[in-house]
Amino acid sequence: MNARKSLTIVEDIYLEGGAPVAPPARTAVALVVIENPWAGMGFVEDLGPVIDDVAPEIGALLAENVMSALGRPVEAYGKAAIVGLDGEIEHASGLIHTLRFGDAFRSVTGAKTLLPAVEKRAPAGSSFDIPLKHVIDQTVRSHHQSVEVRVADAPRADEIVIGLAAAAQGRPLARLRPMSAERG
Amino acid sequence: MLRKVLTITENLFTELGVPVNRPVRKVAVVAVVANPWAGKGYVEDLQVSARPLAVLVANTIGDALLAEFGTPSRIEAFGKGVIVGEDGELEHGSALVHTPFFADVLRACVEGTAVMPSAEHRGPAGSRLVVPMGHKGAFATRSHYTGSEISVADAPRPDEIVVVGAAASGPRPNARVGDRTTDPPVDVATLRSARRTA
Repeated sequence: MNARKSLTIVEDIYLEGGAPVAPPARTAVALVVIENPWAGMGFVEDLGPVIDDVAPEIGALLAENVMSALGRPVEAYGKAAIVGLDGEIEHASGLIHTLRFGDAFRSVTGAKTLLPAVEKRAPAGSSFDIPLKHVIDQTVRSHHQSVEVRVADAPRADEIVIGLAAAAQGRPLARLRPMSAERG
Repeated sequence: MLRKVLTITENLFTELGVPVNRPVRKVAVVAVVANPWAGKGYVEDLQVSARPLAVLVANTIGDALLAEFGTPSRIEAFGKGVIVGEDGELEHGSALVHTPFFADVLRACVEGTAVMPSAEHRGPAGSRLVVPMGHKGAFATRSHYTGSEISVADAPRPDEIVVVGAAASGPRPNARVGDRTTDPPVDVATLRSARRTA
């Protein structure tokens, strides 16, 4: 992994619709901006060897950074991969859609579910929304949420932005009926 | 009053593929607050009424910056900025950050002494703001002029103000444009005439 920079973003929400949120709702995002490991190689058929080499390192780094930034138990999580204009969506997907990426995060959170994801090809400074769902049960409606992220100068055309998001709770002041209430 | 706070931390390792000589951490703390003068029409006195919120926001930002850097000694550059929602005046944002009730509190948090560069802007939610930074002790330190771009998807609402405090742990990555002590003597009159003949 050739990393250019790493970022963390922590958001604490104190008020929603004018009503207090106690404790404040916290969401954290950890990002790393890396060189696209397949940049300049033309069409590469087998992405596996590089994925096996790089994805665990990225997954472990981001898991550590996002847990540290959140500072609380993780209740919801999600991931992102934004590839620069010269790359393939498959490059972005390759680095995050493998157990080698996600297992580091799952093992420290006790999570059982798949990480919801956003994949996108875009110029530097594009915004993207990372979807989050409950770490144990993806049907927990209060925990469906997303967080918007952008990095002013990334990804360059030959870079990939990889991210993990974590929330310490569901949506602030969530009050929808659970799915079980509708199924009677 | 305080709707939410974001802390955005960036660590830079390489620049154009070259490792940076001092890895630099930049932090922007973004506080979203209700505009205390929203819905009141034109308010003449923005000074006394600004003080409680200015102090609250300065302490909030200062504490968050220190949490990211550990100690004030790790902070070398700082700056500030405001984005006023569409129903407010630029003067409202300025009332919050351009007084000792904000700036001196924030300077004390990071142990700075210099003037803090600033940007003031009005715009809708999601507006981008580049927060300028300069050296916290000697503003003319050329290597430390830098900036940090921020935006918040849902802020400011028309009746809100986004207040930002930013800090950096060191100079620009691989800074190398010299300073006042290394500049050659400059004859401005000659440079001006060169512009006309170029």
